[in-house]
Amino acid sequence: MNNAAIEVIKLLKTYDGKKALAGISFNVKEGSCFGLLGPNGAGKSTTMKILSGLLEADGGSVSIFGREIRKAGNAIKDQLGYVPQSITLYEKLSAYDNLQFFGEMYGVPKSELKQRIGEVLEQVGLADRAKDEVTAFSGGMKRRVNIAAALLHRPKLIIMDEPTVGIDPQSRNHIFEMIRGLKKAGVTVLYSTHYMEEVEALCDDLAIVDHGQVIAQGELNEVLERHGTQTVYLELHNGGRPPALAGVNAPIQRGRGWTIETDAPLDVLAGWAQACRSASLKVSQLEMVRPSLEDVFLIMTGTTLRDN
Amino acid sequence: MIIHIAKKEWKLLLKEKGTFFWLLGMPVLFIVLFGSILGNVSSSEVTVPYVDNDHSDVSRSFVASVEEKSGYKLEEKQSAEMQAQIDKIRDGKGTGLLVIPGGFGQSLQENGGKTIAIELYREATSDSTIAPLRAVLENMANAYRETKIDKALADSGQTAEKREQTLSAPFTIADRLENGSGYNVISQIVPGYTVMFVFFVIISMLKRFLRDKESGMTARLRSTRMSPVSYLLGMWLSYLVVALIQCTVLLAFGHFVYDLHIGDPVAVAVLVLLLALCGTGIGLAVCMLAKSENQGMAFTQLLTMGGAVLGGLWFPIDMMPQAIQTISRFTPQYWAQKAFQDIMLRGVHLPGIVNSLLVLALIAALALIVAMLRYKRFMRTALG
Repeated sequence: MNNAAIEVIKLLKTYDGKKALAGISFNVKEGSCFGLLGPNGAGKSTTMKILSGLLEADGGSVSIFGREIRKAGNAIKDQLGYVPQSITLYEKLSAYDNLQFFGEMYGVPKSELKQRIGEVLEQVGLADRAKDEVTAFSGGMKRRVNIAAALLHRPKLIIMDEPTVGIDPQSRNHIFEMIRGLKKAGVTVLYSTHYMEEVEALCDDLAIVDHGQVIAQGELNEVLERHGTQTVYLELHNGGRPPALAGVNAPIQRGRGWTIETDAPLDVLAGWAQACRSASLKVSQLEMVRPSLEDVFLIMTGTTLRDN
Repeated sequence: MIIHIAKKEWKLLLKEKGTFFWLLGMPVLFIVLFGSILGNVSSSEVTVPYVDNDHSDVSRSFVASVEEKSGYKLEEKQSAEMQAQIDKIRDGKGTGLLVIPGGFGQSLQENGGKTIAIELYREATSDSTIAPLRAVLENMANAYRETKIDKALADSGQTAEKREQTLSAPFTIADRLENGSGYNVISQIVPGYTVMFVFFVIISMLKRFLRDKESGMTARLRSTRMSPVSYLLGMWLSYLVVALIQCTVLLAFGHFVYDLHIGDPVAVAVLVLLLALCGTGIGLAVCMLAKSENQGMAFTQLLTMGGAVLGGLWFPIDMMPQAIQTISRFTPQYWAQKAFQDIMLRGVHLPGIVNSLLVLALIAALALIVAMLRYKRFMRTALG
């Protein structure tokens, strides 16, 4: 399971003199879900398109299951399913007809196609809507058919470019469950998003991309520990300012409470507890806070994902 | 792959009712509309009022004779209404008025008497409407004159044979129709609108190619086994079949509804195939050249409407100035229409339309080359 499904080495791409990719490198383990996290315009979609064979890189190399994609041709296409960011379906056709068309394009044998369409529709929870025109579907249902189209030929690698943009929570959960199911079945998933909570919920490994470069990568916990800062959070009952502690950073207001970033969170936690008791302050909440990918991104780029 | 792409496209076309209207409903509507208007012009009866101030048997016989020879319906008005009729003409509400003066009958009977004037009032813009009536009146005046001359010659003692020799015209017109079947408005309109609307298929092609490109479908399909050329050929095949069906339906409509003489069916079939190849080939080139739907629509309007006028699809090419007739030879519409009329009117078979077929094939080949050359750029822009 530890063989590399994808090896990306120093990938370069320039559009009209502007660098979209400035030497991106990362590895994706076979059977894992790998998150590519970054703000809009960071280079995620360009990377996805190069991996899917839609674009050619100006430099660097990409190997999928050990084969250089420039030389592999249809052999790689048979193992890869690409879900683009936009919904690319024919709205006037039924879900079944759309999937039949994609199945034919992926070269699924005619004898298997009908059965495969039934299976993928079951997988995305739309088996009962097979004959309905896509135009009658909600945004989330369209996204699910959009994903189903990439599963018809049983690919070993699914590349999903922001598959949950603008959908309802029910469809999002359905897609998450589906991805977990694919992972269980040994399918490698490369998942791009600018929602950090999606990466935290789904991915084993990740790379954070900004301005066409990978700024952090590794296993989720490892990245958080390596780049994140431990934080202690305190919220007083009366909403007032907590007592200052000697030898640590000054508290910063966050929402209704206050935080202190520190390398010694237990000492700060104990210090704040003692200080509040001494001053007879009533505490609503006092806890250590796990660093988030948002914090990591802020630390490494000086901006938040939303700012971008 | 090619047939799968074409099959998908046919499914989409069947779902889009507007396409049927554009490609079949509109041309049928045009054929019916213009067929009804232009087809009835020669047989329509124009009514012209007349005032008979003579009230004689001769004047009544004259009116009946004019009606019979001209095909006009003459409607009698009383003398008192004459001024009102003239006012109507002056106001542009009437086309003409024939006035037979008093003493008309007597003048005709008094052989050698003074010349009497029949008045024909007309509106300035109705020359073409009144011209046939005027020609009939002049012919009748000539006939009366000949009768007078004949009577004078007989009175001078000439024999019937000699008089006939003297009065015979120096030349006659022998009308010889060389076409296999006669020209009529339908033989202009049906092939004309068939050719014109084949080029309208470009609009449907343009919309599909650009929608696929903008929605990301073209890009997504590149991640499948589909080769780029399959996409181009699949789309072409689908619209080629649409154009073939369109031509067949329109020509069949002309044949069964308007009794259009089709001529050699094999020649027509080959011509329709070449026409469809040409129209859809140009369509592919336009789709590859157009940077936006608006630009593509502008190209298409120029090709369809400009080609229709220059190609002689709306009216016979002989009616246009020589320079335009020369330019028209550079349009595929001209060659298609010419070949249709060669087959339908002149009874020509396949060898007789080879030149037209070659021109259509050449234009189709050139358009395909342009499409192929531009396809890489189209794909590049589709992939972003």
